[in-house]
Amino acid sequence: MTSKDLLLESAADRNVRFERDAMVFADQLYAAALRYTKNPEDARDLLQDTYLKAFTSFHQFEEGTNLRAWLYRVLTTTFINSYRKGQRQPQIAQSELEDWQVGKAQSHTSDLGKSAEVEALENLPDSDIKRALQEIPEDFRMVVYLADVEGFSYKEIAEIVGAPAGTVMSRLHRGRKQLREKLADYARELGYQVAPDKEADKEEGVEK
Amino acid sequence: MSFIEIHCSDVLSSVIFIIEDQIQELPRASEIETHIAQCLPCQSEVAHERAMHDLLQSTLRRSCNEKAPDGLRDLIAAQLRAQINGPSEVITQFSMTEISIEIDEFGNVEHREIQIEQTHIQHFNDSDLDK
Repeated sequence: MTSKDLLLESAADRNVRFERDAMVFADQLYAAALRYTKNPEDARDLLQDTYLKAFTSFHQFEEGTNLRAWLYRVLTTTFINSYRKGQRQPQIAQSELEDWQVGKAQSHTSDLGKSAEVEALENLPDSDIKRALQEIPEDFRMVVYLADVEGFSYKEIAEIVGAPAGTVMSRLHRGRKQLREKLADYARELGYQVAPDKEADKEEGVEK
Repeated sequence: MSFIEIHCSDVLSSVIFIIEDQIQELPRASEIETHIAQCLPCQSEVAHERAMHDLLQSTLRRSCNEKAPDGLRDLIAAQLRAQINGPSEVITQFSMTEISIEIDEFGNVEHREIQIEQTHIQHFNDSDLDK
């Protein structure tokens, strides 16, 4: 047996195992790639790059640990390292991130406002939901997607995006808040009586 | 409604920890829990936040469920196979860093780093396969 045979054999085995275990996540990862890149062409490229990278580093994956979370980490790192470069993404200053506990002037919402918000969200079309998600800053969009669509815990998300857990929590909080505010904007355009959230307006101003 | 230490605004600004069931991460977790137990507006707010969170989650899941386009999966599988069946090569990379620090009699520090890198690529030809 030549060394080439050995190489081929192990690689072939690995390929079979990889295809068997990893390809089932293609649809999910594609939907995530769409949210990250915001367009189908880049999403296709990102998915291909992700699978190639995952395949070549598959030996680093520990059998028995969470393959899905590992693939999302490859997807997310590939996106951050290759696709985001060159794009001028507004980076979120650290000081903006840790202050969810600072005593902001938060007050209770009226019951009327609450039911209007629920009704609006129940009736908005899917296209508006996706548009709102696209419009929130990338770092927020990633964690909201990973938490609320993929159901990862915030500790898993910290591993996937390579950020401290506290930062993930804060991005999640702000991301959801901005998302809800966007959706409330759309709902108002459609004639729902959703009250504007003054605080979210203020936060948006900070991001830009 | 407010208590000596915890105000409604403290609860509202920590609501993410409450709906994520991470209340124990908060510095004043038990005080916040006590406040919620005694404050109806806060209870209603937390309940609304939970409901909105669940609704937002189900709405997002319903909307973001695209399937990978036809052919993309096959293309990826083909690319993976091409990686294996293409001309094989073994890449050996070697790198080392030599660090020297010199301190002279006046206490001046001179710090040098020399990096040596070497890459060796060995190709296997198809003829090797026939052996």
